[in-house]
Amino acid sequence: MGQAIGGQGPIGGAPGFTVPWNEPPRVPLPKHLYVHVPLCRSKCSYCDFFSRADDGAVSHTELVEATLEMLRGWLEPTVRRVPLETLYIGGGTPTVLGDDLVTLVRELTTIMPLAEGAEVTVEANPESVSPELLASLVAAGVTRLSIGVQSLDDETLRLLGRCHDAATALDVVRAALGAGLEVGADLICGVPGLSHDDWLRTLDAIVDAGVQHVSVYPLSIEAGTPMAEAIAEGRLAPPDEDATVAAMDAAAEVLTARGLDRYEVANYAVPGHESRHNTAYWTGWPYLGIGGGAHGMLDGEQARALGLVPPDETGIVRVRYGYAADMFPMRLEKSLSAFETMTAPEALREDAMLGMRMTRGVADELAELAGARGAMESLVADGLVVHEGGRWRPTERGWLFGNEIFARIWGAVE
Amino acid sequence: MTDPTLIRNFSIIAHIDHGKSTLADRVLQLTHTVADRDMQEQMLDSMDIERERGITIKAQAVRVMYDADDGKTYQLNLIDTPGHVDFTYEVSRSLAACEGVILVVDAAQGVEAQTVANAQMAMNAHLEIIPLINKIDLPAADPERVRHEIEEGLAIPADEAVLASGKTGEGVRDALEAVVRLVPHPVGDPEAPLKALIFDSYFDAYRGVVALIRVIDGSVGKGVKVKMMATSTITDVEEVGVRRPANMPVDVLGVGEVGYLITGLKDPALVKVGDTVTLARHGATEQLPGYREAKPMVFTGLFPIDGDQYPDLRDALERLQLNDPALVWDPESSHALGFGFRVGFLGLLHMEVVKERLEREFDLDLLATAPSVEYHAYRMKGDMVVVHSPQDMPDPGHLDRVEEPYLKATVLVPPDYVGAVMELADQRRGTFKDMQYLSATTVELHYEMPLSELIMDFFDQLKSRTKGYASLDYEYIGYRTSQLVKLDILLAGKPVDALSFVVHKDKAYARGKVLTEKLREIIPRQMFEVPIQAAIGAKIISRETVRAMRKDVIAKCYGGDISRKRKLLEKQKAGKKRMKSVGSVDIPQEAFMAILKVDE
Ligand SMILES: Nc1nc2c(ncn2[C@@H]2O[C@H](COP(=O)(O)OP(=O)(O)OP(=O)(O)O)[C@@H](O)[C@H]2O)c(=O)[nH]1
Ligand code: SF4
Ligand SMILES: [Mg+2]
Repeated sequence: MGQAIGGQGPIGGAPGFTVPWNEPPRVPLPKHLYVHVPLCRSKCSYCDFFSRADDGAVSHTELVEATLEMLRGWLEPTVRRVPLETLYIGGGTPTVLGDDLVTLVRELTTIMPLAEGAEVTVEANPESVSPELLASLVAAGVTRLSIGVQSLDDETLRLLGRCHDAATALDVVRAALGAGLEVGADLICGVPGLSHDDWLRTLDAIVDAGVQHVSVYPLSIEAGTPMAEAIAEGRLAPPDEDATVAAMDAAAEVLTARGLDRYEVANYAVPGHESRHNTAYWTGWPYLGIGGGAHGMLDGEQARALGLVPPDETGIVRVRYGYAADMFPMRLEKSLSAFETMTAPEALREDAMLGMRMTRGVADELAELAGARGAMESLVADGLVVHEGGRWRPTERGWLFGNEIFARIWGAVE
Repeated sequence: MTDPTLIRNFSIIAHIDHGKSTLADRVLQLTHTVADRDMQEQMLDSMDIERERGITIKAQAVRVMYDADDGKTYQLNLIDTPGHVDFTYEVSRSLAACEGVILVVDAAQGVEAQTVANAQMAMNAHLEIIPLINKIDLPAADPERVRHEIEEGLAIPADEAVLASGKTGEGVRDALEAVVRLVPHPVGDPEAPLKALIFDSYFDAYRGVVALIRVIDGSVGKGVKVKMMATSTITDVEEVGVRRPANMPVDVLGVGEVGYLITGLKDPALVKVGDTVTLARHGATEQLPGYREAKPMVFTGLFPIDGDQYPDLRDALERLQLNDPALVWDPESSHALGFGFRVGFLGLLHMEVVKERLEREFDLDLLATAPSVEYHAYRMKGDMVVVHSPQDMPDPGHLDRVEEPYLKATVLVPPDYVGAVMELADQRRGTFKDMQYLSATTVELHYEMPLSELIMDFFDQLKSRTKGYASLDYEYIGYRTSQLVKLDILLAGKPVDALSFVVHKDKAYARGKVLTEKLREIIPRQMFEVPIQAAIGAKIISRETVRAMRKDVIAKCYGGDISRKRKLLEKQKAGKKRMKSVGSVDIPQEAFMAILKVDE
């Protein structure tokens, strides 16, 4: 119940509300909640995430109300709420909502109260963060800010179509730390024109600023974005693969040397500051997702209790759902646009695959259950995986060829 | 049974795209064979692949009843034939069932290479030829010029040529009147024992083999016991009928009539195209001449991508052969590709069509290797080895000489492009024979050249260098000695047999270089560096490298991405499945055809 079937996550959940003796037992909802805010100040040139420019067409208060309504939609009499271990408000750029974001956090945590020591993350972009907002968010229970810094080179920021400069980004990082928040910074490497030295300077400067967490993503050119168009028309050079690999390697080296350990393909943290919310994704814990374009994952029991699958479909152990990307306001049953059920062998393989995104890798036991032992051995033979201390883990080379690892594990059974 | 004097049997022949099938449409309409509401364009092109490509591949026989100006109703058996040079064999078989032809010539394009070739075939068969200048509705139509070309180039009187448009229907009645007036009616002995020619056949899942026949003497009907003379197979006739164009049973087919015959025989080998059908008892003693077997010109390896489909592929080839007597094959095995067949074809289009039909009609996934010709390798010890596949070429140390098939190629082109044609033919080891003006606007050039050069995108090159004006016809003339070597391709140090090819010694270096370059573009980057080498024997003549991929990882994978990214991986995997893994290297299918596209 609510437990990762790969058995990697923390076991069990806090007890929920008291159930009257004469009611049938209610199934506990997930203890992780993701909320999507699909607005940004303006669209960046490389972005294909579901968000739109905050041009006044969508009213903030209506957006907040619709989002809360979606959450209430999950509270069927057959399920019970459990205190949230993690809450993540992502986007888009939730901070463009300003004070309405504070309201959103307060209301969400009224509907779904937080557990003791819960992690509450808000995604932020530098142009829409003020010291006042930071103070209010802290007061509302936010513990962590994930800031889209992307680069500390102004030329690169312009190319990326970001609406802030490097100095602002650093100010916001410092202010957030000053307000008592844990801070993570997102960085993009492999941007055409960015020299290796400038990349190293960005890495150093962000660590100097005191962040506890850094995510590093190679620039990926997505079809239909202005950047893809610029490349197609020859106005911009495509990212150089060698330079990108060098930048990824440098990030691993610099960040690790400075005390931020790599715990996932793209994520580094001072030990103890890893994102608990994201870790739940990679370790098979159910989570609710709400907001346009948001996705969620439920275990079989939750899905049956909510009527998403018939009560006799006991072979289904996992359900992934997604909200349509462009429906506001929406009703749960009307707007689910993606829906996928998984059997135990599939879910186990998925857990094994996602587990290999992480430094700690996958335990023998899970690899065995997932039928992935053969795949793991072939990956060891190709130098992408090591097997030690009863766990399978990616090697340095394995970090760069993750898709090969994931594909072989996912394809293990067919 | 119809009085033979009221029967006319004719084929419609022409260069490709000159409008044969469209003209047949108008005939079907004018004779009310097909109701207007059921009519569709190129009605007789019934295969999907014909409709998609807009060309005729199979000849189609159809019977129509025509009320002529003389007040009588005639039975017309017309056969719409394909125009592409690869399917000339279909034309020659159709002519054997006819007394005349309508020779269609496009009023804008004029006489082209297969106009000449098909007209000659009709003349050799002593058939009445009715020239028809088609598409006169086109703004670029120039009937006078074309009339001239027909007279001068083909030596066929054309002052009474029918002027027509398959599009508007103009002149179609004139054409049928000409057929009635000029094409001789069939002559045969109704009292003699049955003699009928099988000129085509196909397989019907419910009825077995369906033979298309032309009755020469006697008659045939349901319940009669007949004999297939070549195989001495005796069987009962289940049904005879005519095609209108759907099958319509009739009681009897008599002298001169064209129709179908169903016997219930299911074994394709017993009902051969070209065979004579006669009565089981007191039958004819002499067979009709039949057909010369079609000679396959190009050979390619066909391999099921999924090795388990090998038996299915064999069954499919057998079934298809019934409808395509020109198809021949032998089992073949390759280190790289496993078990498959070496299949012989009449040309590249024929090859493409057969591969596509096998995939579609029999639900197979096939990989084709580059086509090659049939070499004759003479060894020192005096014997000769027939080489259909480069990998079978004997060791150079044991070779005395190698002979390759040569063609007489005929190119028709406007005078302005003669230079371009000569340059290309020269690059392709062509020997110029002669050249003549068919008219002021058309020159006919003759070359002798190796077939192996022709199958290397010669036709595409010819078209592109003459802005599409040139047309090409060729016929086989025999084997000649050439300085040939086998070139091997090594990937990651290992030879891939299915990529080997035979090439003239003087061109080996250039071809090897271009091919390795081409393969470098085609083979995707893999986790490891892949060297590509071309070698003659132990000597490496060129080398390229597919650089190793540096990274391949989905860096961002959070809650909403998981399903999507998993699907992406599945898609990548499906893409890989369509490639062939040889050793550790994934090779896309087009790599095996790359040799055809190397233009030096
Ligand atoms: N304008 C015009 N176009 C025509 C006429 N007849 C045929 N076409 C067009 O010419 C093209 C070829 O016509 P088809 O009837 O398929 O030619 P075909 O000779 O049967 O071709 P193959 O069987 O492939 O040799 C088609 O696009 C027709 O629409 C005509 O009289 N006038
Ligand atoms: S801030 Fe983030 S979500 Fe918004 S447009 Fe830029 S990249 Fe996209
Ligand atoms: Mg046609």
